[in-house]
Amino acid sequence: MYQPLYTEQQLLAGLAKGERMATDVVYRQHIKIVGPWILQNGGSESDVGDVFQEAMVVLYEKAQQEDFRLSCKIGTYLFAVCKYIWYKKLQGAQKQPGFLPDNAGNDEGRDWAYEDDVNAYKEREAHYQNLDIALDHLGEPCRSLLKAFYHNDKSMQEIAAEFGYTNPDNAKTQKYKCLNRLRKIFYGAQTKMR
Amino acid sequence: MISRDFNNWQLAEAFKAEMLPAVELAALQTRLETDPVFATEFHECVRMITALNESGKQKQFRNMLVNIHHDQTEKSTKPNWKVRTIPLRTHYLRTGAVAAGIALLTTLSTFWIVTHNEKKRSSQYSLLKRELETIKRSQSAIIRNINTPQNTTPVAPANFSGTGFAISNDGYFVTNYHVTEGADSVYIQNKEGEYFKAHLVTFDKTSDVAILKVQQSNFRFSKGEVPYTLAANKKTLGSKVFTLGYPQDEIVYNEGYISSKNGFLGDSMQYRLEIPAVPGQSGAPVVDNSGNVIGLITGKESESSGTTYAVSTKAIHRLIANSDLKLKLPKANKLSKLNREQQVEKLELYTYSVKVYKR
Repeated sequence: MYQPLYTEQQLLAGLAKGERMATDVVYRQHIKIVGPWILQNGGSESDVGDVFQEAMVVLYEKAQQEDFRLSCKIGTYLFAVCKYIWYKKLQGAQKQPGFLPDNAGNDEGRDWAYEDDVNAYKEREAHYQNLDIALDHLGEPCRSLLKAFYHNDKSMQEIAAEFGYTNPDNAKTQKYKCLNRLRKIFYGAQTKMR
Repeated sequence: MISRDFNNWQLAEAFKAEMLPAVELAALQTRLETDPVFATEFHECVRMITALNESGKQKQFRNMLVNIHHDQTEKSTKPNWKVRTIPLRTHYLRTGAVAAGIALLTTLSTFWIVTHNEKKRSSQYSLLKRELETIKRSQSAIIRNINTPQNTTPVAPANFSGTGFAISNDGYFVTNYHVTEGADSVYIQNKEGEYFKAHLVTFDKTSDVAILKVQQSNFRFSKGEVPYTLAANKKTLGSKVFTLGYPQDEIVYNEGYISSKNGFLGDSMQYRLEIPAVPGQSGAPVVDNSGNVIGLITGKESESSGTTYAVSTKAIHRLIANSDLKLKLPKANKLSKLNREQQVEKLELYTYSVKVYKR
């Protein structure tokens, strides 16, 4: 198979934009290293997929930041993040101190590399989850409309056609109405929680 | 009010996309500084749109990852990296051991409880079954005699047992037809408790006689030829007779006399005997003092009285003559000069319990 050679910078730039080609290359290259490690440390094939994909998302999120600079190779970063995620997963699975893999360095009080990135990611993930819950509470057609626009990247023209609005402007008005309601639900829920 | 809200969204979207002209941007800045209510609302709008945008993009990225993963695993059914998997880490051993211990304990105690209860129940059950079986057996024998012989009603599915005796040492033996009727399989059991599978060779429903053969090829009932002969003619009234049968697992000896030369309702193929008989003795040989087998027990008049009916050996002779069996009936009577105990001892070797299995 023809595979163009990319520099790491190019790959990261592509990844940040969510380009399929770059993502594919990164995925293929690094799951070869991470996969066996997880399998050796008591994981299953599906664990490999889950953990590695999560690490990829962490990298993706990090690449979105304006001041993003990777101080190491992509592989090193992904491997470190995967180790941390897997470690946390094991810890959660059994309510006792998780074992540290032999090649994970010294045990007690070890600072995990890129722990902050993962934690930031987890926080954001929780935030997104709340947003999704709020979206689900919105009811139709708002839920589908907002999902079509934000999640599926559809244009206002497409949405107008799909949801039966006479023109894109009507659809846009509807979208703002929906956003208003979403804001009330979301921030209302947030304040309630506090 | 509503239009103002929409304005905020529009403004926020434009601000986010950095599409706001410099003049409006400046106006927005001053408004944000002076109007705190507007400022919080506006920031909320921006945050909301940002979050929606980002979570949307992330979702798309995730979908792409799933796709890639799927593609990859599809292309090579097994992943292109190979590792040795160690499913159970030493780390899990302690937890695993505790879990296994609990599982074992639970299994064993459950097993014990279940079998304990089961035992109680099954002992009650088998008692009942035995009763049922005996009743059915005696009924069948009685029905067989009371009804017309052609109309031997098949009994309900049950396991039957009767008695049979050898007529040639290479495996042929005789019993009542009603014992084997409707059988799936027939086994004979000697007094040592050994089983041998047998099959029906020929039978006469009217006289209630069946000839069977043990299937095992080199089977012998005992050493030497069958020591008794089958009487060709009817014995006289009042002759003393004895019988050996298996009303239970143990062989049982009984004695009596011929009380009538004809059997039930004047059946000339039968004797009427005064001899105790219980179910399970169907097919038992009836032997006179000199060691001739004169018939086989077939039924009785009622459960309480000692009146028993036996099919004459004439019926066996007739059955063999009518069939094309190459069967050498015993010719020499080796029992004639022996006393009763010795006769019984010899006869025992050739008398078997017949076990019949029906569906």
